[in-house]
Amino acid sequence: MVGKQRITQWFPLTAMAALISVGTATTTLAADYPEKPIQLIVSYGEGGSTDTMARIFAKYAEDVIGERMVVVNKPGAGGELGWVHLANAEPDGYTIGLINSPVVEVYPFTREDTVGYEYEAIRPLANVVTDPGILAVDADSPYQDLDAFVTAAQDDPDSITVSHEGVGGDDHLAAINFAKEANLDLNFVTFNGNAEATAALLGGHITAFEGNMSEAASQVQEGEIRALAVWSDERMDAIPDVPTGKEQGYDVEAAASRGFAVPADVPQDIYDKLLDVMQEVIEDPEFRDEMAALNMPVNPIYGQDYADFLDASHERLKALWEEDPWIDAE
Amino acid sequence: MDALLPALGNVFLPAALLTLLVGTLAGVVIGSLPGLSSTMGVALCIPITFNMPPDLALILLGAVYVSSVYGGSVAAILLRTPGTDASIATTFDGYPLAAAGRGGEALGIATIASLIGGIFSVIVLLVIAPPLSTIALAFGPQEYTLLAIFGLVTIIGVASERPLKGMLTAAMGLVLACVGLDAFTGIQRFTFGQSELFDGVPLLPALIGLFSVSQAFNLSIPAGGGILNDQSQPLQGRRLPPWQSIRRCFRTIMRSSVIGSIIGILPGAGTSIASFISYNEARRHSATPERFGKGEIEGVAASESANNAVTGGTLIPTLTLGIPGNAVTAVFVGGLTIHGMIPGPSLFTDHAETTYTLILSLLLANLLFAALGLWLCRYLIVITRVPGPVLGPMILIFSVIGTYALRNEIFDVWLTIAFGVIGYFMERWRYPAAPLVIALILGPILEVNFRRSMQISHWDLSTFFTRPLSLALCLLVIVALAYPLWSRWRRRKTALN
Repeated sequence: MVGKQRITQWFPLTAMAALISVGTATTTLAADYPEKPIQLIVSYGEGGSTDTMARIFAKYAEDVIGERMVVVNKPGAGGELGWVHLANAEPDGYTIGLINSPVVEVYPFTREDTVGYEYEAIRPLANVVTDPGILAVDADSPYQDLDAFVTAAQDDPDSITVSHEGVGGDDHLAAINFAKEANLDLNFVTFNGNAEATAALLGGHITAFEGNMSEAASQVQEGEIRALAVWSDERMDAIPDVPTGKEQGYDVEAAASRGFAVPADVPQDIYDKLLDVMQEVIEDPEFRDEMAALNMPVNPIYGQDYADFLDASHERLKALWEEDPWIDAE
Repeated sequence: MDALLPALGNVFLPAALLTLLVGTLAGVVIGSLPGLSSTMGVALCIPITFNMPPDLALILLGAVYVSSVYGGSVAAILLRTPGTDASIATTFDGYPLAAAGRGGEALGIATIASLIGGIFSVIVLLVIAPPLSTIALAFGPQEYTLLAIFGLVTIIGVASERPLKGMLTAAMGLVLACVGLDAFTGIQRFTFGQSELFDGVPLLPALIGLFSVSQAFNLSIPAGGGILNDQSQPLQGRRLPPWQSIRRCFRTIMRSSVIGSIIGILPGAGTSIASFISYNEARRHSATPERFGKGEIEGVAASESANNAVTGGTLIPTLTLGIPGNAVTAVFVGGLTIHGMIPGPSLFTDHAETTYTLILSLLLANLLFAALGLWLCRYLIVITRVPGPVLGPMILIFSVIGTYALRNEIFDVWLTIAFGVIGYFMERWRYPAAPLVIALILGPILEVNFRRSMQISHWDLSTFFTRPLSLALCLLVIVALAYPLWSRWRRRKTALN
């Protein structure tokens, strides 16, 4: 009984002491940062392109920062689950995450009622890869270029089917964008991920496939599929023969970008330190080579520039959504 | 094929053999722990393979993959706790056998069946992978729709003891399969705003809850009892199953190996369909179909040879087309790309040596897990003697760890426990859980492919009958449905005569 009383008496005091020590710990944190492994949240499953990039990045970053980087996969809800964790993580610099544009900036308005994070709760650090969209047909397809495809789609819309990998995903948005630009009414066929869509294209079950360059590049190189257009500003090194949409008169730019972010309240000096690490890794020629081997185009955008880039995309897509929402939630 | 000889040399290098041994051991252990799956096993290995040379990395991943699928049979037979959907069908007859003290025999035949199924599919992969990969492409949404229907038909066989209750739980499974974001419109269905449910009711938490956790409750609640019906009974623990049971199962094993290899090639199908269909076919061809579900050794053989035949099958489109055949090989693709090898035809040209090293190592991995299994068999069956109150909590712990590790979500753990409670009462009131899980697996495949077919054909239902392959599948479904009626009618007629 006496013992128990003593504990209750002492408890507030010890608790206060603990709080104070935690407080001092946070103030001295930045100087010693990092002093324990850093968690790197990947919002997609093991083995996917985001995961692969994260693991290669972590390998280089560990050498620069001098601590282990532990990749933690939190797949689910098209990336949302991972970003909820990132946004709500302790802002101490020991949790960073990968964010995937455009979906990361789209959910806060397309899933307004249920989304578990705020767009403002995630602070972008650096973009690493920008993987442009491509529109491709099977190698045996009669359509040799974008114009032929567009003409066919105008003449007989029912004969054309175009795959994308989920409503509201970057492929879907790219395809919507293209359809709008070319003034087409495209028949979309929805797939779960790249594998099934590619199989359907190669098997002749769909006319065309809208996907990401990095995932389709090897098949384009092998001549199994023909890319009609890449939705980028300039041609891509991995598939130099594929013309851009703009070259063919369709002003479409669409891509999936993958970069790093931290919870918004991370102290500025830790943010700066992480940014330096990002910069050092991304500018490392060896890292660039590994990315090139995977057909992942590196597109470094740092700090405030990256935030501006995402903000612009956020604004643009929000306007598009308000004009013509792609999810019809009656 | 020129690369075959150097690849053979690579496989027998000491480092390769050691990796193979470690991978096989790890795979068997991961697979046989209740609640842990082969996807998880392969995913856990990805960070390890990172710093290994590509040859060894692939050997490790391959060994873990094939041996964890085999390992699943151990938990399915001895504990009725399948860690993956691939070994659900193994529980149907394996567990009754274990409860009757014949666990050793069941494990033995599972090992032999897994070995034959695995080796068969690897040989197929080695010899005729490129031409076979066209099967993966021949299946369009229409064919997948019918394949899913064909899979659903197997529920009739599984639930034949209690048809009404079976249909009821299957319907429950289909309703649960509706939960999640509608991929076609983006609308949320029955998610209650929980983003954890956007991808649907996650399969493994449901499966582990219904089978493993409910089994944990079962074993923990009554005092005393273990898995054996009669604890005083001697356990037979032979190493090799008797020749006549192997011979009796041989046709089933070969049939299931073919079914498993083909279904493995189809990227949209999944391992469990192969074992359900093989199980159902074994039952249909059996002279004593009424013994299925009560401890028929052929049932174990069918399911196990099919799920191991899937392993080689899934690697066919993965390696030749760069299209992963299932969730595990999708992780595998990541393991390949990390080493700069992009799956696709170039694997057989630019990286032929490494690719053939992988394929050959799979053969060895199959032999190794079989040897390991046959050796461990008699020690493993002792588990059936462990008192329930000891075993139960252990199963519960592994189930919680396993479901959390799937995507690091605590929500999934609660879901598993909830399904465990549901499963416990379903079992007490004799509602079979397997139809629910089968429907939960096949429901989304059916829905998504049906809607894709409709998007492609502009709502013309005749699309299912005008494509040769889908018409053939239609006929298969009709045969599968009509056959039991026909055989009953014939039996009645002979009885009258």
